[in-house]
Order: sequence, then C-alpha cells, then structure tokens
Amino acid sequence: MAVLEHTPPAVAQPSPTQPKKGWRKYWHLYAAISPFYLIFLGFGLFPVGFSFYLSFHRWDGLGSMEWAGLSQYQYLLSDSDFWNSIGNTLIIWALATFPMILLAMVTAVMLNSAVRLKGLYRVAYFLPNVTSVVAIAIVFGSIFSTNAGMVNAVLNAVGIDQVAWLNTPWGIKITIAALMTWQWTGYNAIIFLAGLQTIPSELYEAARVDGAGPIQTFFRITLPLLRPTLLFVLVVSTVTGLQSFSEPQVLLQTSSNDSTFAGGPGHSGQTMVLYFFQQTFDNNDFGYGAAVAWGIFLVVVLFSIINWRLVQRRGE
Amino acid sequence: MRLSRRGLLRAGLAGTAATALGGLASGCAVPTGSTGRNMVLWYWSGGLSDTVVKNAKARYDRSVDLEAIQIGGQYRSKLITTITGQAHIPDIAGLKGEDMAAYLPNADQFIDLRTLGAEKYRGQYLSWKWDQGIADDGTMVGFPIDCGPVAHYYQFEVFRRAGLPYEPDDVSSGLNTWEKFFDAGVQLGKRVPGAKLLTDINSVFENVVQQGAKRYVDKDRHFIGDQEHVRRAWALAVEAKQRRIVSDLVSGTPDQLSAIQDGKLPSQLNASWASFDIKNGVPKTKGRWRVAQMPVRPANSGGSFLSITKACREPERAFEIITWMLNASNQAQGYVDAGLFPSTPASYGLKPMQEQDDFFGGQVTTDVFGPAAQKIVVAYNSPFDIALGQPLKDEIKNVGVLGKDPKKAWSDAMSKCRRIAKHLGVSY
Repeated sequence: MAVLEHTPPAVAQPSPTQPKKGWRKYWHLYAAISPFYLIFLGFGLFPVGFSFYLSFHRWDGLGSMEWAGLSQYQYLLSDSDFWNSIGNTLIIWALATFPMILLAMVTAVMLNSAVRLKGLYRVAYFLPNVTSVVAIAIVFGSIFSTNAGMVNAVLNAVGIDQVAWLNTPWGIKITIAALMTWQWTGYNAIIFLAGLQTIPSELYEAARVDGAGPIQTFFRITLPLLRPTLLFVLVVSTVTGLQSFSEPQVLLQTSSNDSTFAGGPGHSGQTMVLYFFQQTFDNNDFGYGAAVAWGIFLVVVLFSIINWRLVQRRGE
Repeated sequence: MRLSRRGLLRAGLAGTAATALGGLASGCAVPTGSTGRNMVLWYWSGGLSDTVVKNAKARYDRSVDLEAIQIGGQYRSKLITTITGQAHIPDIAGLKGEDMAAYLPNADQFIDLRTLGAEKYRGQYLSWKWDQGIADDGTMVGFPIDCGPVAHYYQFEVFRRAGLPYEPDDVSSGLNTWEKFFDAGVQLGKRVPGAKLLTDINSVFENVVQQGAKRYVDKDRHFIGDQEHVRRAWALAVEAKQRRIVSDLVSGTPDQLSAIQDGKLPSQLNASWASFDIKNGVPKTKGRWRVAQMPVRPANSGGSFLSITKACREPERAFEIITWMLNASNQAQGYVDAGLFPSTPASYGLKPMQEQDDFFGGQVTTDVFGPAAQKIVVAYNSPFDIALGQPLKDEIKNVGVLGKDPKKAWSDAMSKCRRIAKHLGVSY
C-alpha cells in the first residue's frame, strides 16, 4: 500500500500596502476630543480676542463702534479710581487671607487629632464654603451694622465705643475681609488636613521619643512638611481674592439711587472687578470696560508670576 | 456585517452630525424675534402689573400668543446684549426710565411709534413724560408706563412731638422751601434727641438737581455740572450736613431701617414707588406715615416705558396691545398691584386711586402724588449724565458719610468730571 502524501494548499500572501498617514490613522481620536476645543474656541478664545479688540474702541453696546486707539489704556493708567480699586482689592485680600490661613491651620491640626465625631466636624467646617454668598453677605451686613449690630453690641459690652463698620474706609475693608475669612477658613482647613495626612507618622514618633513637645513638633515637623500645601493655598487664595466681587457688592449695595457697584462711601470697598462692572454696565462704556478687564488680567498675571517664583524658589 | 468599535464610533458620530444639522436647519428656519402668532414681551419684576399682563394675554388670545417674560437681574444689559446679538429679540420691551438715555441715541433699534398713530394718544398722558420717550431726532421710542413723582414721606407723630406741623396740608405749606425744610430739621433735632430729618445728604443733592430743568450734560454734549444749578444743589446739601439735619447712615442698611422704625429718621424725600419699599422695609410703622409735597417743586425719579423693537413682525398689533395695557384704567390697576403711579391724569380720579391707604393712616396718597406729577419739570436726558453725575454723587456722599471737607470734595469732583468728559468726548 502506497503512502499518500498531501501537500497543504498554498496560502496566498497578502500584498504589501502603504501605511496610513498620521491624521488618517488617528482621526477618530481627534474627533473624540474636538468638542472641548470647539467650545473653548467659540466661548473662550473668541470672547477674549473680541474684548481685546473692543478695548481699542468706544462702544455703548447698541450703536456703532468708534476707533479710539490707545486712549482707553491711557485713561486707565491715569484713572485714580482704578488704582484705588487695586489698592482696595489688595488690602482686603491681605486682611482676609493671612488670618484665614492661620485659622485654617489651627483648625486642621485640631481636626487631625480629633477622634470622635471626626466626619461631623469636617462637614461643619466645610459648610460656610457652600453657603450662598448673597445670603451670608446680608447676614454680615446685619452683624456689622452700626447701631443694631452684634459686633458693636459686644464692643459696647466691654466698654469700647461703637464702630461705624460699613460707613468708614477701614471698617468696610475689615467687614469684607471678615466675611471672606469666615467663608474660606473651613475649605482650606480641609485642604490642610489632607496635607497633614500625608506626613508619615514615623516622624512624629521619632520626635516624641526625642522628647519634643507639641509646639516644637508643630514648628519643626508639621509646618515645614506642610509648606507645599501652604503655597498651594496661598496661590489659590490670591487668584480668588483678586477677583472678589459678590461680597462687597451685596454687602454695600443700597436702596438709594447710587450704583450697586460703587463699593460704599469713598469707594472704600470697590474691588477691581466691581469697578469693571461699574464702568461697563452702569456707564455702558464697553470699550473702557474691556480695557479695565485687561488691566485686571495684568494684575493677576503679575501676582501669579510672584507666586510662581515663590514656588520655584522652594524647588531649588 | 461584523460589529467593531470603529464601526460603532462612526455610527455614533454620524448620528451626532445628523442631529446637529437638524438643529441648525430648524434654527435657520426661525426668524429673529417671534414666529407665527407668537409675540414676546419683556419686563422686570414690578415693571408692570401682573393683573394687567394676564388680562392682556386673555384679551388678545385670538390674534396672538402673547408671551410675557419677566427678566431678572441686570435688565438693561440683557436687553442690550440681546438686541446686539440679533437673536431672540422681544417684540415689546420694557425700558426703565433711568436707562432711556442709553436707548434714545439708538432709536434706529426701535420702531417709531408715531408711524403707528401714537400722536392721537398724546393728550391723555403727562406731557413731560411723553416727551421723555422721544429721541433727539423726533423718533418716539417709548410709550409711557408710570412716573415717579417725589414727595415728602414723614411720620406725623414725631413731627407733632417736635412741635412741627403734622397734618399733610400744613406740612406741605409749612415746609415749602428748602430753608423752611432745614429749619424744621433743626427744630426736630432739638426737640427729639437723636433724630435726623433725612437719612443721607444725597437725597438733598439729587432731589434739588432733579427738580430743576438741567442736569450734567446738555443736548450739545457740553458738560454743565459745574454751573449754577448744580452748585446750588451742592450748597444746599452741604448746608443740610452742617446744620445736622442729615444722618451719616446709608440708605437701605439695617441701621437705617431700625432708625426709621424707632422714629429717629422720620422723613424721606422719595418717589411714589418708595411707598412699597417703606411698607416692606418697616412694616411695623403702619399707620404712622403721612405724605406731603416736597419743598419748592416736585422732582421725578424713575418711571418706565414700553417700546416696540425693530424685530417685531406685527408692530400694529403690538401697538394695539401696548396702548390697551397702558390706558388710564389699567394704569390705575398698575398702581394698586405694583405701586406704578399712572402717567395718565385720568387715572387719578378712578376708584382704585382714591382708596384710603391704611399704612398712611387712611390718607388718599393720590391727592399728593397726582398734583405733584402734573407739576414736574424734567431735564434733558443725556447718555453721559450717569458717568458725569457719578463723581458729584460720590463726593457729596463723602461729605455726608465720611465727613470730607466740602471744598476739597467739590474740587475733586470737578477734576474727575473734566477727566471723564475728555475721555467720553464731552466738551467743557
């Protein structure tokens, strides 16, 4: 019997093809991410460009635009009200931020060492941050009012003359700062708490073995290791504070014919953004409003650069 | 066909594109403004009587679907941006009186109501109010809603205790000049410890300016805020401060409201619509108030208009609706519902306007506001009045609240006004 030998059928070799070009290979990926960029282009980039264009014109919002060249910026640089609003913003930011960071740090350390009701405390401290700014500004307006306010009642009780908080330049700034401090302390305490929990417990154990007390431990271990978190909080507080708007607006608005963006007597509480709103929407001066907005942008950029330098120095 | 991730992705994208195209197509099909029977009316809370709006919808239901939308927040900004955006523009738009200066130079955005037969209604409305709705080129932009005659609200018991006249007619005649008014304030301060006649210095300054026939910028775009009429208003305001008849409080603050309730701030020079603010702000003072004429001559504060935008496809129908909503009878209803004092004198004699107001101790307040409304003189309304009036208001407030030196304040206001005038293209 002969052995039948079978050869497998021939397999056709695929013909070589050219590789697809880059964009054709990945087009579906571009399509997947395009919604964000299209929206950004239409609602982010275009308005920015248009406001820059607008800052070289005079426009009341309804009529025709009138070319004004650099005069809007020249006016901005010599506008004492704009510089006053920058000063106000910085003072209020400082009065609010430094006490806030101190309080937040203390709160975070206490929260970190809490054993019972830990979650409840965290929620309680976080509540001010999610409360309506408008409602709280009205409450603070009552607390700090001259004749009927709680703050002056306390001051009178300890023999101090009452302060016209909402009618004096420094009183206005302190009141706004108190409101902002109250609002942000809890939020930043939670952030500090997160930072605290990244510190290895071995360091504390070693310190305890070496006989360090709680104060020494805080300043030599906790604070240095919290520095990145501290810088983060400072940067965010700076950017947020430079854009403050609702707090002074609601706190200082009146029922008289005066502008709701005036910032109270002497413009003492008029922040940069409030000033921008007053020029743009009270006066219908959209061209100058755009220039003010770019002025604010430059101020924020300047402070961001300062913050960036601080962070960089830490890195070295 | 074998399913694959790529295939599903293609199908999804195609579906999305089809949906987008469909939306675009239907978007293109809708003209700006309204469609078919639809007619859109924009107004703000308190700008019209809700009763009248509801009745207008029912009345014109057979010919149009009247859609009345209450716009909250910054009404003027929203209207301006909508008109500029050329999309979803309302057919009929409310225009706040204090914003008319921004609309009148842009009269081409609105239909000239004279072309729709407005002139035959002129005689029914206060002539100064009618004129305020007309642009420099003669185009009639706004049809009158309400007006805001300013009067002297006061708490009669405090006045009686201070030995001052306290019946409305006696107060009207006894305090009919600023000097007599200030004298009364001085006497009040002596007899009722801690009491001040008025809340803030701005109420004197602004009312004196408003009761005159000129403001800050004239028709020729010339700054007139440094002229005699403003200097006199400033001098009177400073005198009020120096004679201690104004407090250093700010209107609308809790301090002010509690002082009013305690009778320490018994007076206000305010418009007719302020009666609602008083009722809401200090409800416990019900029955304590009376209203009298303000010194010299009534000023006007506020008061709005209805307009028909260029985007309206049926202006004749819109005009019919407007004129019905703003007739004498409906304006009387507007007063009852929303404190909108009528710009139609015929309303004043109607029953709703003649009701006794318990909050004012049974007084018929129309007896004061009606005559006041008919004596008002108004200034030219310049779009630059806001920007150029602001430094004066700011500085007089600094005098009143912060105790700034009046001469320094005036000087600062003038230098700021010159800078702003130059910036805006106003001559001085």
